[in-house]
Amino acid sequence: MKPAPHIYALTNSSLLLDASHLDATDRLSIQKKIWALTSHCRSTNEFTDLVPAMNSLTLYLKSDKHLNKWLQVLPTLWSDIKSSTFKGLHHLIETTYKGEDINYVANYHNLSADEVINIHSKTKYHVLFLGFQPGFAYLHGLEEQLHTPRRDEPRIKVSKGSVAIGAEQTGIYPADTPGGWHIIGHTDTALFDSTSEQPCLIQPGDTLEFVPLVNKGATHD
Amino acid sequence: MIKVLKSGVLLTIQDFGRDGYRHLGVNKAGSLDPFVQIIANRLLNNNDNDAVLEITVGLCELEFTCDTVIALHGADLQATLDGQAIYPGWTYTVKNKQVLSFATGRAGLRAYLAVKGGIQNTEVMGSKSTDLNACFGGIEGRALATGDEIPITPYYGEFIKVGAIAPAQRKLIRLHPSPHANLLGEPLLNNFVSTAFKVSSNSNRMGVRLEHKNNLAHSHSLPSLGVSPGSIQLPPNGEPIVLLNDGQTTGGYPLLGTVIEADLHQFAQFRPLDTVEFKYVTFEEAAKAKQKLDGHLHQLSLALKNNL
Repeated sequence: MKPAPHIYALTNSSLLLDASHLDATDRLSIQKKIWALTSHCRSTNEFTDLVPAMNSLTLYLKSDKHLNKWLQVLPTLWSDIKSSTFKGLHHLIETTYKGEDINYVANYHNLSADEVINIHSKTKYHVLFLGFQPGFAYLHGLEEQLHTPRRDEPRIKVSKGSVAIGAEQTGIYPADTPGGWHIIGHTDTALFDSTSEQPCLIQPGDTLEFVPLVNKGATHD
Repeated sequence: MIKVLKSGVLLTIQDFGRDGYRHLGVNKAGSLDPFVQIIANRLLNNNDNDAVLEITVGLCELEFTCDTVIALHGADLQATLDGQAIYPGWTYTVKNKQVLSFATGRAGLRAYLAVKGGIQNTEVMGSKSTDLNACFGGIEGRALATGDEIPITPYYGEFIKVGAIAPAQRKLIRLHPSPHANLLGEPLLNNFVSTAFKVSSNSNRMGVRLEHKNNLAHSHSLPSLGVSPGSIQLPPNGEPIVLLNDGQTTGGYPLLGTVIEADLHQFAQFRPLDTVEFKYVTFEEAAKAKQKLDGHLHQLSLALKNNL
């Protein structure tokens, strides 16, 4: 039998599809199905919110009348859905790699700062889901070579636009916030703007890469 | 306009909050007691979703710079209008220059103040609510401060005084079952429902933390999953957190269950050291409880229609 996700009614109007037990070694492939499923569900216009998280999807219905129907159809939808039906956007994040901790990260891995920049900026990252704060993307794809344990003491303020590494993840802080990740760079790209028609630049399922900016006239040594 | 002479402990503009942005990490915000917001608005013949002031604990002072009618509801925070006591559940006609003061109360935590026509701040992402964490909505995305001017529309017409009671307070909170029942195990869940919790002083609009003497500690950690107002998280230290409107959109703690919609507003009024207990119910019971609450609101509308 094909392994199936767990499906629960959380309330009279919300459901959880949990596929996190299916294959912990290939989170990305499962997440691609989550994105495709999210996109399909959104097109039905029956939900107020559809929240992908790590290999799961929480579905919030507009009406509790539809709960039983979705409990019944979700397993079939999951087995039928093709992950290729979803295509996200690709974003280029121009980054100045002069973060406070870039030398710490380089030293920790016996690399030069330039090598850290090269490794970090050559990867295409997948936006698994957003959370923690508006516009904060959980990215998949950080090279194992750069996995760095979080700071012993979190900073009280990490500034908006900081590009950072925390354990096996990398990310961009959309707003000033306390944080325990190592800051390796900074971007001026706005990730969240509540006054904009599209408040978040990045959506679940998008991809992005960091493009190193070198100040004119300046050289790395 | 309403001028804030003293902002007190926490004074915010709220309506029903935001839907449709949770996948971007944007929380709901909004009145923690939406039923009281509805009642206060209906007493003024406002729309249910018109923005109101949420007054936590009290100790604030507001001066009106125009005539209006207000409806006060929720916790009794010993309010006075120009020194005269006024009471939750009623409408009051207010004249230009009058001052509304809140002391603090003995029961309940949050009072709601609706004004005729609703508060007129700018809508951001479909709501006038203040998102205190992401700092947008309300006025400049923050709690109101001394000197702020809250925009309202003057009202000079006649208004017949009306009043309405709020749904009863309860200490036994009804829950939907946990999606992590197998992981947490029956002994822990039995322990959970037989515990009388105390509300921690470390509670806020993000969540209510619950203290107790039983052992609910565990060592499970989960891949992040979607959470929402009413989700009860159990961190490894065993002290449950009932997520409220300003809570995060995803989390990695196992869930003990979800508070039924009809009971969630109760958490707006729990004060530190109040006792809370939990009981799992069926989906039918949850739907019935919601119908009862809707019935209360429907009756109010009928009564007001006959009165006006």
